[in-house]
Amino acid sequence: MEYSRPVFQSLLTRRYLTSKVMPLLASAAVMLSVAMELITWSVMGGFLEQLIQSGRTLMGDVEIARPQRGFGDYEKLIEMLEADEWIEAATPTIDAYGLVKLNDTPQQLTTTCRIKGIDPESFNRVTGYFDTLYWKPIDTPMPRDKDREDPRLDPAKREMFETTQRLGQELFGYDVGAQSDRDQAVLGIEVFSKRGLRSEAGFVTDDWVFLPGKDVTLNVLPIDMSGGFLEPVARKLQIGNEFSSNIYEIDSQTIYVPLDELQQMLKMDRAEIVETGGPIEFIYDNAGNPIGRMLPEVVGVTPARVTSVLVRGVGDHIPLRDLQERVKEIYTRFESQSEHAPPVDALDVLTWQDRNATLIGAIKKETALVLFIFGIISLTSVFLVLAIFWSMISERTKDIGILRALGASGPGVAWLWVRYGLAIGVVGSILGGILAYIVITNINAIHDWMGATLGIMIWDPQVYYFARIPEDFNLTKALIIVAAGIVSCGLGALIPAWRAARMDPVKALRFE
Amino acid sequence: MSAIEVENLHKTYKLGKVEVPVLRGVSLDIASGEWLAILGASGSGKSTLLHLMGGLDRPDAKSGGRIAYDGRALGDLSANDRNQFRRDHVGFVFQFYHLVPELTVLENTLLGAMIRLGRLGYLREAGKLRDSARELLGKAGLSHRLGHKPAQLSGGERQRVAIARALINDPPVLLADEPTGNLDQKTGAELLDVFETMRGKTERTIVMVTHDPKVAQRADRVVEMADGLIRQTTPGGSVGV
Repeated sequence: MEYSRPVFQSLLTRRYLTSKVMPLLASAAVMLSVAMELITWSVMGGFLEQLIQSGRTLMGDVEIARPQRGFGDYEKLIEMLEADEWIEAATPTIDAYGLVKLNDTPQQLTTTCRIKGIDPESFNRVTGYFDTLYWKPIDTPMPRDKDREDPRLDPAKREMFETTQRLGQELFGYDVGAQSDRDQAVLGIEVFSKRGLRSEAGFVTDDWVFLPGKDVTLNVLPIDMSGGFLEPVARKLQIGNEFSSNIYEIDSQTIYVPLDELQQMLKMDRAEIVETGGPIEFIYDNAGNPIGRMLPEVVGVTPARVTSVLVRGVGDHIPLRDLQERVKEIYTRFESQSEHAPPVDALDVLTWQDRNATLIGAIKKETALVLFIFGIISLTSVFLVLAIFWSMISERTKDIGILRALGASGPGVAWLWVRYGLAIGVVGSILGGILAYIVITNINAIHDWMGATLGIMIWDPQVYYFARIPEDFNLTKALIIVAAGIVSCGLGALIPAWRAARMDPVKALRFE
Repeated sequence: MSAIEVENLHKTYKLGKVEVPVLRGVSLDIASGEWLAILGASGSGKSTLLHLMGGLDRPDAKSGGRIAYDGRALGDLSANDRNQFRRDHVGFVFQFYHLVPELTVLENTLLGAMIRLGRLGYLREAGKLRDSARELLGKAGLSHRLGHKPAQLSGGERQRVAIARALINDPPVLLADEPTGNLDQKTGAELLDVFETMRGKTERTIVMVTHDPKVAQRADRVVEMADGLIRQTTPGGSVGV
């Protein structure tokens, strides 16, 4: 006999689905579960993506790093790196830790900081540094700044912010107080904390803590080539600007200063090597009296050093690991040509992901944990479908008896219920996907409404991180969650369907 | 040869630890085209006999007897073959109609055809089947009720839909379990007229279970049951109810 699936299941599924409140409630439960899971995944995923992109912006794609002692001849290394077709730009930096004191304020605030020496122009090519400068004229207000109260929008202050922008871009400029050009420092926007000092829209008002123009004193502890401590060095710089990367850990601990300034402070600048082991030779006057010592003989030069070189690849298409390998190859070639380059094993060649592994890993785990918890909650939809089907099958016992009496097979009856479960899953999951799409793409408006109406601000830009909640609706994620919702409902219907298939038709027909 | 042979049929139900014999050796031959009424009081075993004849239930495993259709024993059929047997050979009519409340009159009537033919077969013959269903429902006086749900029908109308459903696959055997049991006398009589009409000049065998002697008299032959046994067989009278 020709086999084909009976048509009665589709007819009954349609009718059962639309004729009772129970399946509608089950669909609503599935819809909410799917929407909840998808919204959580999208927002947390968007949050993670935002952090990752910020992290990448800050250090490029790959970093060659030798902390503390650093390495020389980096100009040649950069030249070799930038000659490679995979590499767009490279920049030297120094990372050091020190104490920073904010002068010109009654509090005389002091904090520990990561002081980063940079060459602003090449650093910008690798990291997009100029975009992170905070005090600059802007034309578009921040998303929640409906009244355009951000001082950076003020045309009257445009010239001032153009100056701070230039100072940040050049790390050098005119100091009115000193009546001369000076090196400038750019502080992370949270170094001298502005927590709680932002407007509700998330911007910093210049009345509160406008740091450009004030002085900071930096204190660093240089070390010699053998790792020993030298005398602490203090230097006063003017704050030219502040930067905002959107990562609190970075914005609260980082200060940018000119590379050559930090090289000098840390004794990492170019230096002559002199002969110190020979006898002391004096200089005599005409009368033969000693009037001084002969300078020791210069026997060599140690080049200026940096602790890292940051590299950005061309475009986004080169796999990070391949780029990392290419940078290692170039460094190995460089090492063979430079007498001041340490062996490749003595330094780290890390991708930005390796470098931020702790932060990224923490956020990923947090996202996974939240999804797992919501996943367990969503399991309730499986049990809900199971419970609803169990009761519906009890209610439909007579229908099962009728179908069996008319010749329907046990598996045919089971398929009716599995199909029904899948139908509830399809309806609930698709509606859940649509609901999630609507919520995600309007999450900021919904959040604003909650804040205005109910006084609930979950993502408070005054605290940090987000001026805006991520609104990325990812289709792949949506398809995964919707499919999972449908499968869950199918699973929830399996046991009741099995029960229906095994039901004795005579007992079913006699069921009251 | 008889259309249906029933030989020494035994059926026992278990109620907890107690075994209740319902059929205790029933033997019966039903000729092709015959209208047989099984008459008996409640608990006599007549409905159980009907369920066994329809392949909905099985006789006792040990010495439970035999039911054969045109010489083919039901006990030899696999579960699938029994399903197919029900689809192709028998139509059921129940006392409480057993219509699917969500389906319309026309859809309820077509349900048996949907189950028998499968998706492709049904779709291929959908037009023809709908015409047959309309014709059957027309003979049952329900042409104006095709789109109605069972809840909108009277008891007699529901039972007429159940008869149309039972006959949609044109089965050689119609098994009716107290078809008038839930109807008043007048409606019951009208329903039996429908049976007569539907039977027409075909060779369809009808086995009807009833507790009402007047209803039983509409059949060609009446078999009386009591305590799980056949007590008496008499010819029917074709008298009005």
